[in-house]
Amino acid sequence: MTAPGTLLRRRQVFTLAKHEVLRSLFSRRSLAVYLLVGMPLALMLLRAFFMPGSMRADASHATTEFAEVFHFFLLRFVVFFANAMIFVRLFRGEILEKSLHYTLLAPLPRTVLVLGKYLGGVSSASLILVTTTILTYILVYIPHGSAGLRLLLSGSGIANLASYLLIAVLACFAYGALFMLAGLFFKNPMVPAILFLGWETLTPFLPTFLKVLSFVHYLVSFAPVPVSLGAFALLARPVSWWIALLALFTSSALLVFVASRVARNLEVTYSAD
Amino acid sequence: MSNDRIVFRDVSKFYGEVLGVNKVNLEVASGLTGLVGPNGSGKSTLMHLMTGLLRPSRGEVSVLGVSPDSPEELFRLVGYCTQYDNFPNGSTGLSFLRFALALHGFSKNEADERAWAALARVDLTDAANRRIAGYSKGMRQRIKLAHAQCHDPQVLVLDEPLNGLDPMGRAEMIDLFTDLAKEGRHVIVSSHILHEVDVISDGVIMIHGGAIVAEGEIREVRGEITSHPIQVLVRCDRPHVVASRLFDLEHIVEVRIVEDEGLLVSTRDASDFFNKFNRIVIDTGVIVETVAPADESVHAVYDYLIGDGLGGGSA
Repeated sequence: MTAPGTLLRRRQVFTLAKHEVLRSLFSRRSLAVYLLVGMPLALMLLRAFFMPGSMRADASHATTEFAEVFHFFLLRFVVFFANAMIFVRLFRGEILEKSLHYTLLAPLPRTVLVLGKYLGGVSSASLILVTTTILTYILVYIPHGSAGLRLLLSGSGIANLASYLLIAVLACFAYGALFMLAGLFFKNPMVPAILFLGWETLTPFLPTFLKVLSFVHYLVSFAPVPVSLGAFALLARPVSWWIALLALFTSSALLVFVASRVARNLEVTYSAD
Repeated sequence: MSNDRIVFRDVSKFYGEVLGVNKVNLEVASGLTGLVGPNGSGKSTLMHLMTGLLRPSRGEVSVLGVSPDSPEELFRLVGYCTQYDNFPNGSTGLSFLRFALALHGFSKNEADERAWAALARVDLTDAANRRIAGYSKGMRQRIKLAHAQCHDPQVLVLDEPLNGLDPMGRAEMIDLFTDLAKEGRHVIVSSHILHEVDVISDGVIMIHGGAIVAEGEIREVRGEITSHPIQVLVRCDRPHVVASRLFDLEHIVEVRIVEDEGLLVSTRDASDFFNKFNRIVIDTGVIVETVAPADESVHAVYDYLIGDGLGGGSA
């Protein structure tokens, strides 16, 4: 007997999500994502190895250093591209592998299909990026010895880390929805992804009415330590946390909704793709 | 639309400027139906339309009264073995079927039971835990068949299902299709190997250039092709006597004595031929061993309709 109504839908979403998590974490193609998230870890290891003794003794800069690494490298590059690689593949990857039809031949509404894949993507991207953020955070503090460790394990150290992790997870929801949709629309979704990265990078220099059209504008509002964005950045009033949450979740939900509408008209024409 | 048939109403499918199928009107009843046509004739397009993998540019399709726009209902009824030879990366035979059955909503235990039963039906139990990427062509074909039928569908759509199977495997699969059709299911099998379709099908759909050129039981289809005389093979002890009498009949086009075969008669009126032939047998006292249609095969019909490039004259 198959499960009835809501239970069936939940089971289908869970099955799809689990399948996507396994695919995202353990397939050969995940290697590119692991290489990407390995970059900040490698850099932090090099930093730890070559750090002069005078710097090791002073742990006070570690908090600012991590804030800068997170803003300019982790969030705007690693988190962005890791999400692009994971979410673009949800549909486009299966189209290229010519195996999407097996999922389309299952008795599930396309909305469930999109939701299951999206949640699978969010779970795997969050798992990878949360781990990366934690490890990078630890690697910034560890070279400072016991002083660094005390700072790391202090109340503010843990609270800061929690804020960065929240940003990483929210980024997975928001960028994930966008890249999943791009994977449904474009044969080569990396081109629009790079254009969007350009837009996200320009955000600090844009007037407020344009800043609101970027995800990073809302994400950085959760950052515990402000960073300088340079002389040419246009300052805007910080977004309150609940507006940022609302904006990120509403835009993600909207993008997932559009993706499910696009998926309703999805056809299997592999030769054309 | 009919609740016990697969129905196409004025269905056309265009890929941009390229025609897939054009103005198809079809009703497919239960039983084993062969879908025959050369490569690129629109067989797979027709099957994709039936299963919602493609949407018609015009017209509508329904499968036992269900629109392909409702996948949650459609795929409880339909299993589709496509021509694609690709599988999700890293899947084993067992995990591939388990995933499909879990999406159908079966509990873990029931999905397991059904997966093992489907694997046994296609003789892949021993290879269940091996990666599909390491399967032979025939094994991959069999795992696709297991996937199509593991949820016990009422309608089975099979695109070239016997490709890559060895003779023993083909025979087993043909028996399986025949059994499924006898249970009252709709089994639609596409093939470009005409002999196969001839042996297994109750009915046939012939497609060429995206258009249906013939549909129905092979004998009916053949009977409606008036441009080619019907051929009848007669085996008897004195063929030359029968031949001389047959020439008196107006509708006889040709009578040939074929060595070791008998008499090959071409007639434009088969029913009158059989009536008059009985009289000839009584009058001449010849001993008749066989009287059988010689070109009521899919191959012959296919040749007449498509091989000659007629392409029209829907039967």
